[in-house]
Formats: sequence, C-alpha cells, structure tokens
Amino acid sequence: MSPTATGSLPVRLAAMALLLAFVQVGVVSEIPVFGVNADLSPLLVAFVGLLCGSTIGAVYGFATGLLIDLLLLQTLGLSSLIFTLVGYSAGRLRELRDPQAALTPLLVGAAAAGGSLLGYSLMEFMLGVDAPVSFELLRQIVLVTVVDTIIAVPLWLAVRAWLQSALPEDPRRRRRRRRAYTTGGLSPLSRP
Amino acid sequence: MLVLLVVLSLLLLTAYFGESPNGRLHGVQRAFLTVVSPIQNGANKALKPVRDTIGWFGETLGAKGERDKLKRENDTLRKQLVAEQAEKTSLHQLQGLYHLDQLGAGEYHPVTATVVGKSPNIWYSTVTIDAGSNAGVRVDDPVVNGEGLVGKVAQVASDGAQVDLITDSSMGVSARLGKSTSTGIVQPKVGEPGDLLLQYLPSTAQPSQGEFVVTSGTVSSPDDSLYPPGLLIGQVTSVNEETGFKSVNVRPSVNLQNLDVVQVLTSAAGSHAAGIASLASQLPAGKGSSAGEAGAEQYASTASGG
Repeated sequence: MSPTATGSLPVRLAAMALLLAFVQVGVVSEIPVFGVNADLSPLLVAFVGLLCGSTIGAVYGFATGLLIDLLLLQTLGLSSLIFTLVGYSAGRLRELRDPQAALTPLLVGAAAAGGSLLGYSLMEFMLGVDAPVSFELLRQIVLVTVVDTIIAVPLWLAVRAWLQSALPEDPRRRRRRRRAYTTGGLSPLSRP
Repeated sequence: MLVLLVVLSLLLLTAYFGESPNGRLHGVQRAFLTVVSPIQNGANKALKPVRDTIGWFGETLGAKGERDKLKRENDTLRKQLVAEQAEKTSLHQLQGLYHLDQLGAGEYHPVTATVVGKSPNIWYSTVTIDAGSNAGVRVDDPVVNGEGLVGKVAQVASDGAQVDLITDSSMGVSARLGKSTSTGIVQPKVGEPGDLLLQYLPSTAQPSQGEFVVTSGTVSSPDDSLYPPGLLIGQVTSVNEETGFKSVNVRPSVNLQNLDVVQVLTSAAGSHAAGIASLASQLPAGKGSSAGEAGAEQYASTASGG
C-alpha cells in the first residue's frame, strides 16, 4: 500500500462527488431520455463501494447524499440514508464475493438505481405524500433503472480509471494472483 | 460505522422534517445554497454548450413527430377558438391568459431568472434559479413563464432560490375551469410528471376535453390565494366521474422538462399579496413550507365555494 496513493484517494473521491453533483444538476437532469432523467448519484456511490469496500462506500454514500440534499434543498438526511446503504451493500458484495464478471458493473448499477428509487419511494410514503400517487410511478422507476443501467458501464470505466492509481493494493487480489502462479498459472515474467 | 451513519441520517431526517421552514437545518441549506449559487451559475454557463449539443440531437430526432402533433393540435385549437368566439366572457378570460404583466397590477413585480439546476429525483420536481432575496424573491412567490404557471418559490438564498414545480408532490393550487366558475385543487400525480389532477370539482361542473384550467386565486377579496387569478395551468385531457365530486386530468401548459428562463412574481412589501405569502408561511408545515401552502390553497378553494 503506497502512502501517497491512499492519501490522494479522499481528494479524488471529493472531487468526483462535486463534479458529479454539478454535472447531474446542470446537464443530466435537463436531458430527458425515454421521458425520464438519469440519476448518476446512486451509480457513483455503488461503484465507489465496489472499488473501495463497505466502510468507504458507506461513508461516501453518506457524504454524497448530504451534498445532494444540500445542493437541491431536498429533505436533509433522506439521500444520505439511502446512499449509505447503497455504498455499504456494494462494498460488502466486493468483500464477500469480489465479483470479476464483465457484467458486474451493469448489475450493480441496476441494483443501485432501482434500490435507491424504491428506497426513496418507501421513505416518501412513510413521511406522508400530499399528492395522489399513480401506478405510473412504477413505470418511471423501471425506466430510470433502465437508463441508469445503460450509462452504468461508461460511468464505471470512468470512476475506475479516476480512482485506480489511488486505490490501495487489494490483499485478496494479490493472493489470487499468487495462487494462480503457484498452481500452474503462467508467471507474468515468463510470458513471451 | 454503518449503524452510526444510518442513525445520523435518521436523526437528520427527523430533525429536518420536524422543524419549521425557518429552522436551523433549513437555514444551513439556505447558507449552503448561498455559497454554491455563484459556482452553480458558473457551472451552468460552462456546461450549457454540452447541454445544448445533446439537447439538439434529441430535439432533432423528435422534431418530426412533434411537428405532426402540433399540426393536429393547431387544427383542434382553431376549431375551439371559433366556438369560443360566441362566448364573449370566456373569450375575454382566454385573451387575458398570456398577459402576465397585467396580473394583479401594482401587487406583483416580475423578476426574470435563469434556471441553473434541476432535481433528478422522480420524487422531487424542483429547479434552482439564479435570483434570490437580493432580487426581492421571497418564499411562496409564484413562478411563471410565457406558457403559464411554473410553480412557487420554496426556499430562498441571497442569490438563488429553489422553486417547487407544479408537478412536485407537495404542490396544491386552487384552480378553476376556463369556461365556468367551478373551482377545485390542482395536484400532481406522483409518477406522472406530464399529468396533473384537478380535484374536488362540484358534481354539477361540466368540464370538457381541451378546456383551459387557470388559477382561481385572487388578491383583492377574502378568497385569497398565493397565485394571481387567470394564470394558465393547462388543458383538460379527460374527465373522471367520482362520488360527490368530479375530477379532471390536466396536461400542464408549461414544458417543465425544458425550463430555461422564468419570472418570479414578487409581491411588493406591504401589499396584499405579500400579506398572504406571509400568512401561508406561518401555517403548519409538513415537508418544507409546502403543506402550509397546500393548506392555504385548500382553504381558498373552500372559502370560494368550490
């Protein structure tokens, strides 16, 4: 684990959250796709959890949620609560399963988007909704989840590229590489 | 760590939800908005070319379908207009719909503002504008554009404000049908941002498809409302028969997906409109000041016999 690398991680995470917040509010929210707007925040939080683990994922989710609630003057604490759970869940997935499949970001993105929207809906119902609620809400949730899933892969690649050099070495992946080498895997040094 | 963050979130949520719109946490939000408003305005200007480029592709693709739709709509409207000419009173009301400058003369001062941000969440239909208390904007001021009613100001910072759109789940506007005096409450249908519901119309009301729905509020009689009368809200798309009351589905006249410039109808200090806004802000709040506002509109509707 390189000290300089880990030291730059919080800065990179903070810069990414701020950039995302302004891009989300100023651009993405103003461009409807299939009649809905993509929501990058749950995707970002989930991907940070997937790359950095459950603790960082939860803290990042809380901080990003707080930023979004402050920036958009939404009910304070609501996004923090939902994104904390999203970040933690993605982090736990990495710690327990460490999925390496190419479809992982797609599935994690879909789960994060759908889960956060359901979480919002549940909380809004618990807090009391003044207006009548249409069944169209379900269609909206599905559509936003689909749109978020479509943009999940490019966002994942961008997040990973931005954070990669600042991420600490993962002992599990180091072990996996060593195991592959000692059990007959080709050493990177012996490759032609 | 997870438990700590969840508890912290719940504490924030409980404190925020329980406090009045003038409470400490709301104050923190307003202070934050004051700080980030200049950055947000700068970012909005810097990102405008990106937004316009992406928007241009989308608009070009949808332009053909939109043209055909507008042609059909134009034909329908022309027929309606011919029919309307027989009803001088109604025609007079319709002519006044777009003349925003004449609304509540002396009561409102329009402040033009640019939309610099929009909430992405389907549960929040809000936008952020670049005019705040420095420009005379106050909480509960109506917000309009050339197409009709956009919403109302929910929170104000010095150089920015948050506007609840008419499709926000917390909104409720007393309204009436264009051709009759039947009044009701326009509320959004959560999950259907392109649809509103005009509820609590008397069973004797005879709404028809395509009929205009306008704000019923007045600022010079006991039936006071936050909104000046005659602001276009939308058009009736279908009528629902219910026990005791009637309700109609309304398509908003304003394209809320494409808001760029809006006008805040600020009320002159000491005016009747300012008094109503002040009264509304003192009503018990649920989510922000919205419940109080909806309550005021409910009261206005009841008082006017609608």
